Amino acid sequence: MIDALFSQPNYAAVKKLLDATSLRHEAIARNLANLETPHYQRVDVAPSFTTSLRQAIISHDAAQIQAIEPSIVTDATASPLGHDGNTVDLEAELVKLNENTVAHALETQLMTGQLLRLRLAITGRPV
Amino acid sequence: MSPLSALRSASAPDFRILSLPKAAVTSGQAISYRELETIGNLPPATAPPPSAKAGAAGGSFESTLGQMVADVNGRQAAASETAAALLSGQNVPLHQAMIAMEEASVSFQLMVEVRNRLLESYQELMRMQV
Amino acid sequence: MINLLNGISDTTSALNAERTRMDVISQNIANVNTARDIDGRPFQRRQVVFETVLNQQQALAGAGTGETGVRVARIEKDQRPPRLVFDPGHPNADENGIVAMPNINIHEEMADLIVASRAFEANLAVVRNARAMAVQTLMIGKH
Repeated sequence: MIDALFSQPNYAAVKKLLDATSLRHEAIARNLANLETPHYQRVDVAPSFTTSLRQAIISHDAAQIQAIEPSIVTDATASPLGHDGNTVDLEAELVKLNENTVAHALETQLMTGQLLRLRLAITGRPV
Repeated sequence: MSPLSALRSASAPDFRILSLPKAAVTSGQAISYRELETIGNLPPATAPPPSAKAGAAGGSFESTLGQMVADVNGRQAAASETAAALLSGQNVPLHQAMIAMEEASVSFQLMVEVRNRLLESYQELMRMQV
Repeated sequence: MINLLNGISDTTSALNAERTRMDVISQNIANVNTARDIDGRPFQRRQVVFETVLNQQQALAGAGTGETGVRVARIEKDQRPPRLVFDPGHPNADENGIVAMPNINIHEEMADLIVASRAFEANLAVVRNARAMAVQTLMIGKH
């Protein structure tokens, strides 16, 4: 019965997105740390995660959403810049960093909204 | 809309048409208590653990309540475990710890409200003139 | 140690590595005219080589991918030949009046310094963003 509270598709989706955002920040941190490392290939969250999550959200299936796990993979679409084979583009990476931070702020707001709504439904009083 | 019914619609259970067991209707006998219990047996919104299903099928309100207490307890334990892992330096993402703690708190709040409603109903029952 | 900011090990190691790189560049710039180093030859330009490291112990222990980082693999000497300058009055001048000066080009060093400081700034931006995210995370559930 308690599990049903937290097994709504929207809630599960926001939770998953938070996992992915936090993982993406790690990937970007690693990329920017290795800006000067020769032959370093940039990494990112696997693109298959985004597509499968979108599918799962459309199908409104919470169990499916909870089953998807994000992971960090090497970005196959990045091409080397400069002579040392490093595929990290500083400006693009910084843009991704800021976008990710904003996405994270959005997701925490959504999560807070869901939790406060649950509390309102339970107690009948705004928190 | 009372909070608990708002909660039920939020979890959107799968509604079936309630019907009396065929045998009782055709035979005209008094419907037993057990049969009455199976009428209201709505399936939960997601696949529950086997023990919860057994509890619901058993039909006892006490077992449902006991199951809820066990769930809440489990969540509190998981939350404090996650927080302890975070504090001891293990690789736990901060948001997972925060969300676990919030979920434990919400579950606990639900249990407290259920307790309050039960108490109110009991007191109202006791106030009824015989 | 509480792991509050994700990926912080990468960033701290990168900050250290970039600082080392900037130190090496400053050393090169300071020694642009050192015709005689300790070994008697003109000062040879130093350059750093970075490499990614993976903390193998953590990876084996199952803590996900383990902590990664960057480190200075080695500081190697640039093997390009020294600059030959015609300066008969110099104490180190040979019979033709040629002096071997360090193979350091100031413009190259300045460009490297700018790149290194940009990388340093980028990693600082990562830490700032990580902290902003952590602050947001701590406010989940509070109105």
